[in-house]
Amino acid sequence: MSPEPAEDTIAQIKTALRFVIDPELGYNIVDLGLVYDVTVEPDGIAHVDMTTTTRGCPATNYLREGAEEAAGSVQGIASVDVNLTYEPPWTPHMMSPEAKEHFGIVDDDP
Amino acid sequence: MPGVTLSRWTMSYFAAALIFLLIAELLMVAGYGYPATAIAAPETLILVHVTAIGWLSLLLCGALYQFVPVLIAHPIHSQTLPLPALAFLIAGLGALIAGFLQLAGFIAPHALCFPVAGFLLSIGFALVLWNLGKTLWAARPLTLPARFVTVGLLSIAATVLIGVIFTLVLGGLTEHGHFINLLQSGVPVHAVAGLVGWLTFIAMGVSYRLLAMFMLAPELDGPTTRSALYLGAAALGVAILGGVPASMAGIGPTIPLLMGFAIGLLALGFYARDILYLYRTRRRRKIELNSRMAAIAVGNLAAAIVLLIALLISDNVDRYIGAVVFLFAFGWLSGLGLAKLYKITAFLTWLECYGPALGKGPTPRVQDLVTEPRAIKWFWLYFATVWCGTIFLIAEIPLGFRITSAIMLIATIAIINELLRARRLLDVKAEIRMPKGASSAHLLYAQVKKA
Repeated sequence: MSPEPAEDTIAQIKTALRFVIDPELGYNIVDLGLVYDVTVEPDGIAHVDMTTTTRGCPATNYLREGAEEAAGSVQGIASVDVNLTYEPPWTPHMMSPEAKEHFGIVDDDP
Repeated sequence: MPGVTLSRWTMSYFAAALIFLLIAELLMVAGYGYPATAIAAPETLILVHVTAIGWLSLLLCGALYQFVPVLIAHPIHSQTLPLPALAFLIAGLGALIAGFLQLAGFIAPHALCFPVAGFLLSIGFALVLWNLGKTLWAARPLTLPARFVTVGLLSIAATVLIGVIFTLVLGGLTEHGHFINLLQSGVPVHAVAGLVGWLTFIAMGVSYRLLAMFMLAPELDGPTTRSALYLGAAALGVAILGGVPASMAGIGPTIPLLMGFAIGLLALGFYARDILYLYRTRRRRKIELNSRMAAIAVGNLAAAIVLLIALLISDNVDRYIGAVVFLFAFGWLSGLGLAKLYKITAFLTWLECYGPALGKGPTPRVQDLVTEPRAIKWFWLYFATVWCGTIFLIAEIPLGFRITSAIMLIATIAIINELLRARRLLDVKAEIRMPKGASSAHLLYAQVKKA
């Protein structure tokens, strides 16, 4: 099977996940680097590995359910499994260049 | 991992706290209590306890129900206990005020106001301690900020215990010599345990975590933070555990308090170093109102300490201690409290309203719930009145103090209006206010989502 359809679906899932924002930072979880990995099985089961900016954040359950809802809205996705992980812990360096620019973060910051 | 959820009754605590803040400021505007009367007069004691219990302690309890679980990544023990605790605390404060009114001659002396106040307040604080203590106990080993909170909880236990002894003596239920000695000379120990051990030490611990979170600064758990914790705990131990027996024995608490102050200065030095480091190494260059105003509040803490040292050196503590306490309570504790309330109210409201809408479409940001350029003017006005009020107290110009208190009241009402606007989503643009899945929040409590 060609990998392209899965890659395409993953790209669509990441686009959908951009509707989910971290409430504190006010920026989407994909560009913040909070989404560590997205995979899709051939039977349409999507796996999203994600984290939060801080452990114990009261927004955690909302973020997890929001990611599930957003990924599940993509055509061809039968179900979504969101795995919340704190390994590795998130750091601002995981942000996309656009997000870093938005927050004024310089790459050579300590 | 069990999820941390919204605290159901935190907003009720905040609302009650803000009402008591307004009452305290109204009393100052009316010239009720110090500086119009003596610092130990019943009128001043009403003002002090409305501020310390009604405003600051209720604010702190409400914040702790939400943020202790965040500090330890573990859910609160009970979402139910905070409501009866709030009822006991408010009723207890009411009885305490009635007791002071008795002392002032406004209420017949035979009523048992003081013992009733002691009973109600100790039940209220015991419920708070039980709930937060059980929550912390389940999450051992504790993070450093949570250890600050633990020391603060022990301090409020000590504060209440001393206070209950005061109420028993004042209510005429005991004539034990040691207890009478404690009432006569232990008031500064009671004040230090409450204002420094409970309110300040917890504010220090929580500020480590909140400033790191809100400014994207590194979490600190190194030697300087540990030094601030252990030296601070030692300072409180010396001041309270040394001060109480010294007072009961009739020696007076001056020596343990001075020793505690000296050790506490070292702790504050480490704390100041850490806070400066957090601001310097923050990744978020453009910081929000709450972090900027928190820095002003920390500056007020430093100013209050410098003022106290100057008074100690010039042997003028008794004459001007009211100015130090005012700057400490309104510049440091209240300033930090209002700044963090501005953030926390918007954040919790966002979670309740827009959390369920995540993933269903675009949602507003927390920042869309507030209008910082409008609010920050009121915060500056608030701090300016605190500084002017301190100067008027030192200059012994009571009328000037009342006038600045009136302006402070206006600034506080304006800040409360900003909080109400955030809670009501009034600053969110109409076209994005109610996306699919969103709901509005109740003013006084949160709909708690099961973890």
